[in-house]
Amino acid sequence: MSFFERVDQGIRRSAVWRSLFRQPYPRDERSRAMAVMNSVWLHIHPVRVRQHAVKFAYTFCLGGLSFFLFLVLTITGVYLMFFYVPSSNLAYTNILEIQSEVVFGLLTRNIHRWGAHLMVFFVFLHMMRVFYHGAYKPPREFNWVVGVILLFLTLMLSFSGYLLPWDQIAYWAITIGTNMAGFAPLVNTPTKLLLLGGIEVGQNTLLRFYVLHVVFLPLVAALFLAVHFWRIRKDGGISGPL
Amino acid sequence: MSEPRDPQRPAVPAAAPAPPERRVTEIDKQRVPMAAKPYRLLALVKQDAVVRVQKEPDDTVMTWPHLLVIEFFAAAMISVFLLLMGVFANAPLEELANPNVTPEVAKAPWYFLGLQELLTYFHPTVAGALTPVLVLVGAALIPYVDRSPGNRPSERKTAVVLFSIFCILGLVMTFFAIFFRGPGYSPSLPWVSGLHFAL
Repeated sequence: MSFFERVDQGIRRSAVWRSLFRQPYPRDERSRAMAVMNSVWLHIHPVRVRQHAVKFAYTFCLGGLSFFLFLVLTITGVYLMFFYVPSSNLAYTNILEIQSEVVFGLLTRNIHRWGAHLMVFFVFLHMMRVFYHGAYKPPREFNWVVGVILLFLTLMLSFSGYLLPWDQIAYWAITIGTNMAGFAPLVNTPTKLLLLGGIEVGQNTLLRFYVLHVVFLPLVAALFLAVHFWRIRKDGGISGPL
Repeated sequence: MSEPRDPQRPAVPAAAPAPPERRVTEIDKQRVPMAAKPYRLLALVKQDAVVRVQKEPDDTVMTWPHLLVIEFFAAAMISVFLLLMGVFANAPLEELANPNVTPEVAKAPWYFLGLQELLTYFHPTVAGALTPVLVLVGAALIPYVDRSPGNRPSERKTAVVLFSIFCILGLVMTFFAIFFRGPGYSPSLPWVSGLHFAL
């Protein structure tokens, strides 16, 4: 037995390791079932799934990948939060500093930006996939509604994040976007005042969008995600096969 | 406060005399000490019928490894893709926001560009406010409008066609707004006046 094998064995036999992982690496059906059932990370899945559900070309993993991107965005977003102040005087400078001085700052910002666009794109595709499979039919009607709410939240998450760099793209994209809300019948002025915190995009808008982007919307989205996943399980897994 | 003791009965009941050499029944054989029971009640499953006529073929596979492998590779591929994107393409950043300098063309984020395109054709109230609300509410109502039971595309042609038309319309509008709108949001050709778009 080589030195590394002995170290490996020693670690696996240690009290710490065995308290972390209650069972050895699962190699038979029973222990694999236990591993899925007992792990907080895996128990989102049932122990067994229907065969068509594991075909890549049935789901293209779109829902799962949207959730994965949500997690990536949370992690990169929290990192960026350490170096960003939602002030119209500081925000733009902060972004420049993140790109030039923060360790992996440029990479983190890039991944956050591309990941956000990709998430919106995947959520759209996921919705289309679900529609073409007729997966919104009973008993899954309400889960489709939850999905539409999640689509809305995803769009709002992306849109609110768009303003934060406080550059020309951000400023004018948000001006255009919120102008649309200003065309709402009856409630146009109150809606715009509520969104912008003023009559045009300014410091209040930045603070509002920041709080929505980093606290409110992610929390609400996480809540609806939990309901979405729970209902998938309760409705007997994903729909199909066609 | 202790419970009043029945004077008729002794405090400690006399041990019941063990039945001498009771015959071991079938039930006794099946009796298992609690500690040796390897199972618990986890869920109640509705029974299909009292007598199951025919057992359905089991079309399930184990989550570990079959589903987890696919999920792992999908997540890994996206991670690699994002990492490469992050290394080779920088997120756009222009000059500091300036309310006094209107850019050549101001475009909304790509997922709202279809709406911005509609703004050029319809009254702002219709394009900017009513359409998005109707689209979202309409989408949420789909399962309650389409009550047909079939799942196959051939069984629900109307739904598939309508939805596809809607998607294609949205796609075309967005595509046009991204590539064929130039300075002042007027029509332009990307190969003549360049691309006016930032992600």
